[in-house]
Amino acid sequence: MDDKLIKISFSLNGKSLTKNVSPSLFLIDFIRDELKLKGTKPGCREGECGACTVLVNGVAINSCLFLAINIHGKELITIEGLSSIEKPLHPIQEKMLEHGAVQCGFCSTGIVLTTKAFDDECRSDGKIPSRQEVKKSLEGHLCRCTGYTKIVDAAEDYLTHSSF
Amino acid sequence: MDKKLKIIGKSTSKLDGNDRVSGRSVYGHDIELPNMLYAKILRSKYTCAKIKYIDCSKALALEGVEYILTAKNLDVNMIGYKRDHPILKGETVNCQRDEIAAVAATSREIAAKAVSLIKVEYEEIKGIYDPFEALKTEARKINLNGQGEEKFGNKNIAESFEYSHGELKSMKKLSKVIVSRRYQFPRVTHCCMGTSNITADYSIIDGKLTLYSSTQVPFLYQRDMAHALKMEPSKIRIIQPIIGGGFGSKLDMLPFEPICALLSIKTGKPVQLLYSREEEFIASPTRQAMVIDLTSGVDEKGKFTFREVQITMDNGAYTSWGATTPFVMMQAYSSLYQIAACKFQADAVYTNNPNAGSFRGYGNPQATFSIERNIDLMAEELGLGKDEIRLLNANFPGEITGQGLLFKTCGAKPALLKVIEESNYKMKNREKQSGRYRRGVGLASMLHVGGGAKIYRSDGCGTRLKLDHYGFLTIITGSSEIGQGSETVLAMIACEELGIPLTHIKVINSDTDVKPWDVGVHASRTSFVAGNSLLGAISIIKQKLNSKAAQLMGCKNSDFVYENGFIKACEKEVKIDKVVREMHFGNPNKLCVAEYFFEPTSSFQDKDFKGDVSGNYAFASQVAEVEVDTYTGKVNVINMYVSQDVGRVLNPMGLQGQIEGGLATGLGYALTEEMIYEDGYLTNPSFHEYKLLTAMDMPEVHFYPIETMDEAGPYGSKGAGEAPLIPTAAAIANAVSNALGVEFLSVPLTPEKVLKALSEKNNHKTANSQIL
Amino acid sequence: MNFEIESPLNKEELLKTLSNLQSKKFRFGAGFTDLLIEFKKFNPVETTVINLAQLKDEEFCSIRNDSGEIQIGSLVKLAQICKDTYIKDNFPVLHQAANALASGQIREVATVGGNICQASPSGDLSCALVSLKANCEILNIDGKIRNQAISEFFKGPGKTSLQKNEILKSISIPINHSKNLKSGYIKIGKRSAMECSIVSLAYHFQLEKNGKVKHAGIAIGAVGPTIIFCQETVDFLLKQNINNIDEVLKLKIASMIQNASSPIDDARASAWYRHQVLYNVAKSLFE
Ligand SMILES: Cc1cc2nc3c(=O)[nH]c(=O)nc-3n(C[C@H](O)[C@H](O)[C@H](O)COP(=O)(O)OP(=O)(O)OC[C@H]3O[C@@H](n4cnc5c(N)ncnc54)[C@H](O)[C@@H]3O)c2cc1C
Ligand code: FES
Ligand code: FES
Repeated sequence: MDDKLIKISFSLNGKSLTKNVSPSLFLIDFIRDELKLKGTKPGCREGECGACTVLVNGVAINSCLFLAINIHGKELITIEGLSSIEKPLHPIQEKMLEHGAVQCGFCSTGIVLTTKAFDDECRSDGKIPSRQEVKKSLEGHLCRCTGYTKIVDAAEDYLTHSSF
Repeated sequence: MDKKLKIIGKSTSKLDGNDRVSGRSVYGHDIELPNMLYAKILRSKYTCAKIKYIDCSKALALEGVEYILTAKNLDVNMIGYKRDHPILKGETVNCQRDEIAAVAATSREIAAKAVSLIKVEYEEIKGIYDPFEALKTEARKINLNGQGEEKFGNKNIAESFEYSHGELKSMKKLSKVIVSRRYQFPRVTHCCMGTSNITADYSIIDGKLTLYSSTQVPFLYQRDMAHALKMEPSKIRIIQPIIGGGFGSKLDMLPFEPICALLSIKTGKPVQLLYSREEEFIASPTRQAMVIDLTSGVDEKGKFTFREVQITMDNGAYTSWGATTPFVMMQAYSSLYQIAACKFQADAVYTNNPNAGSFRGYGNPQATFSIERNIDLMAEELGLGKDEIRLLNANFPGEITGQGLLFKTCGAKPALLKVIEESNYKMKNREKQSGRYRRGVGLASMLHVGGGAKIYRSDGCGTRLKLDHYGFLTIITGSSEIGQGSETVLAMIACEELGIPLTHIKVINSDTDVKPWDVGVHASRTSFVAGNSLLGAISIIKQKLNSKAAQLMGCKNSDFVYENGFIKACEKEVKIDKVVREMHFGNPNKLCVAEYFFEPTSSFQDKDFKGDVSGNYAFASQVAEVEVDTYTGKVNVINMYVSQDVGRVLNPMGLQGQIEGGLATGLGYALTEEMIYEDGYLTNPSFHEYKLLTAMDMPEVHFYPIETMDEAGPYGSKGAGEAPLIPTAAAIANAVSNALGVEFLSVPLTPEKVLKALSEKNNHKTANSQIL
Repeated sequence: MNFEIESPLNKEELLKTLSNLQSKKFRFGAGFTDLLIEFKKFNPVETTVINLAQLKDEEFCSIRNDSGEIQIGSLVKLAQICKDTYIKDNFPVLHQAANALASGQIREVATVGGNICQASPSGDLSCALVSLKANCEILNIDGKIRNQAISEFFKGPGKTSLQKNEILKSISIPINHSKNLKSGYIKIGKRSAMECSIVSLAYHFQLEKNGKVKHAGIAIGAVGPTIIFCQETVDFLLKQNINNIDEVLKLKIASMIQNASSPIDDARASAWYRHQVLYNVAKSLFE
């Protein structure tokens, strides 16, 4: 509480930002409590459930095991960053709804972001993932409501059918 | 009811799915109120002890601490299904979960710090963690508020159920094969992804208390809260924010809820209390741990003769709704398959373990496991096919069971036939297995209430409808949405009946100040009860619309058709919003509203538990196909064939989601999930050590709904939410037994347990061959 | 939770920070996936964290492949290992171990050095590295390098030979080009992902054309206080031709591997189970 604050500059959902943060502040708390972006969910705070997933420089990470100071100089994208006035839902989100992959929704935002990162990776490698690879890409997410099948269906549909 | 349906039966996306998937939904965790404080609870260090003193002085001195609540000077009532649970413990602690003090502070960090500064001195007492120990006469009385001695003849019995039908003695005599086994079940827990939470906001000005709470039974909760706090119920308003999973965990009011309310009352400020994941494991409800002794018999023709069962449940230190799970279990024993005689006895026994609660399936997974394992054993001994014996005894339409359940419709046999055929059960069951990886198939069925269950004075649900003069419909329903998709089904029904597009329908269901009575989400009842209630309200609002429309179109006594926002009759049509405008602004001015209260025809059972308790009944069968790695003992579930009598499929996508989600929970129960306690302390309170299955562990799910069109349910539907997880563990255990030729008497079937069973079997073999 | 932080941006700053802190309590943080969990359990007191996440240095941060060995910086992330095609082709055991560790999100931040310095007997990457006889390159505040075989680096659960004035800079693995490889990583857990090994077995054999074993490495994890290199088995295998391993030899090798272990009971599995499974999966190596 009384520790020295550290100045960090980063981009948040495409906009540059400078903030002073405590060295021991977790990224998840920074996002939820200071940036007031509540779409990043606390499911376990131990790296096991993936509900807190955000994108840092395009890759999916758990914000609950990441220090806020380490987004200095980086691009942070949270679930709110996928919506715009012109396009409120990302195609991944549309696929999730279309396949019934959302029940309570607590796990959903993290899954959307992981799928986005995986999609970017597949695109840059120029490959179309197999169903097994899609499942593997979701291994860091727990969902208690859906039994995963619909989530895997939605992700697979998006990853294999979105236009290259 | 054979008219052509437009939307019922078609896959429809979740009504508020957009908000959930885009992070816009406000869950309890996301609520922030002006001037809000953060609460944290100090729990017991011991599982059984006397409290000698509690010293909060250091914590109180901490800057930012606003209030510390302890049992001292607290004028409240006890809570719990048996009112045997003090909100805060001042004299003795009885389990790891016990709440000793609670802090409200200006930040979460300060609250946590303050909790660590509270000093408690205890005098530890040797606890009792085994219900069989607790039953012994020399055992200490565990819950001092328990009434076991007076009511059940043993001080440590919290609740007891006895049931019987038929002639047990003569049916035993008639039996060719009798199988007796003892089965054991550990505690498992809901693992809602969103942890328990509450935000309380008390107004010192008018004495009203607003609770943002994820309860699944808001009206019972309001009453319980009022009782606990000695307040007037109607001064308490419950607002249900979006819930990150329920599964039965939010049926009981737990101490943290009145604690948070009290902190708000004492400080006059909003107070929020969020569980950490660890706290969620330690201090949220669990499924009942129990020991089941089941003896069952079959005659030489393969007809089941009797079941005799004795159940000892670990109630934990306090009593929750979970103590009433025998109510559901006895239905499985008395009525799953045709049973001539049944004797059932169940005791919930106090221990120094945490109190169990209710969990999707409500005792039925345990009961079904024992029943279905015994059936496989009986079939083997009798030399009858495991499928044949089940078909021979399957429930049938029109059956009135020994307990008095009336199966007006019954898809038991079609469900069995379907999974047997689709899985190629007969052939696969006979295949001899060898080598490292061995395959097996297992079959199990279940019976569960499908149209609510009368456990409270009313099992009803109220609905109010408001149609506005722009053609938008607001459904105000007593029922609650906890992620199961009931909102969507209600909107679909309204869309079907009134021809109003889904985009023009709003469902209001989260505020007790607004919504009418409903008993709450449980017993797979919501679509059934709330759906019927809505249909009632719709027919009333239609009458009003019809007469106005008739007047506008100048035709009488015609069939009115509602379609695409129009009311059509006698080859004319009028827009529905125009009709409403004419009602509102024409002469005489009338509101376009309606209300209806639906009370299922189910009856209270008599004191012998006989009677037709539910509006209808759900039946399901599953075949699990597994591959066991005999090197590691790991069970890989490859296919799940699931068939379920759902009455009628209302929303295929929503239903499939319930099936797959339920199955996953059943799979976890079968394979990996287990809370491990040492002297009442939970040793694995994290996702790291409590293993939920991941996407990588999921089998292929093959689902075959059976439509029996039960006229009691909306469009013929039955409740479906709990059934999919009930027979899963049984089917998997049967499959692993089939693959390996070994028996399992408990869940989960961890790799270690499987390997141990195999190695015991092999040792046995070598021992035997040595003797020979 | 409260701590101070120093975030050196290059090697010089790192060494300076390290020497400045010699009389204080400090911890390194690389990917933080182990460290923050530890801090949640045991609140750090008066601790400074040397934050390596912002350090930019070739030797620490990259995978280099020259002069007969492959060098992996301690700050290389597991995801980088997974994506490296050279590693995938030439050291399948390493690729598979990295890929079996935690989840995609964790692998994007967790580092090779973190996995090694955590010194967990069930560390997946560490187990693969032990089988590959990796060498640890340890840097001290004077800028000197100390080399140590990885199996010597581990001193017990959570214990390494690292001194207070040292940091793990990188590891190196000798390259023996051979197209004829038998290499892989077996991880046993209760579920199919997100597991902490109950037993793990890393193996890497290079074979001559005719099947004779030229180089061999076997390591076993979670069956003793540290990851164990199965020296006896390796010595034995070096005399064998892989094509001639029959049923009897197979069981003999499995027993040798099993005998190298000394598992204990813990919450995740019993010693009996670990012992048994190790034998069984060792058997499977030659099936
Ligand atoms: C959910 C979850 C799942 C996991 N699953 C697995 C698994 O399947 N298999 C597995 O092996 N591990 C697993 N882990 C553990 C962990 O992710 C790995 O050990 C990881 O490689 C640690 O790397 P890190 O960079 O995050 O380490 P850090 O947390 O940064 O550091 C770990 C330790 O090493 C020290 N350290 C780090 N870098 C250096 C250095 N260069 N020199 C000296 N000391 C250093 C730190 O001071 C600390 O003591 C899991 C962790 C989590 C949270
Ligand atoms: S909250 Fe971060 S992984 Fe669960
Ligand atoms: S939808 Fe509820 S946890 Fe995934």
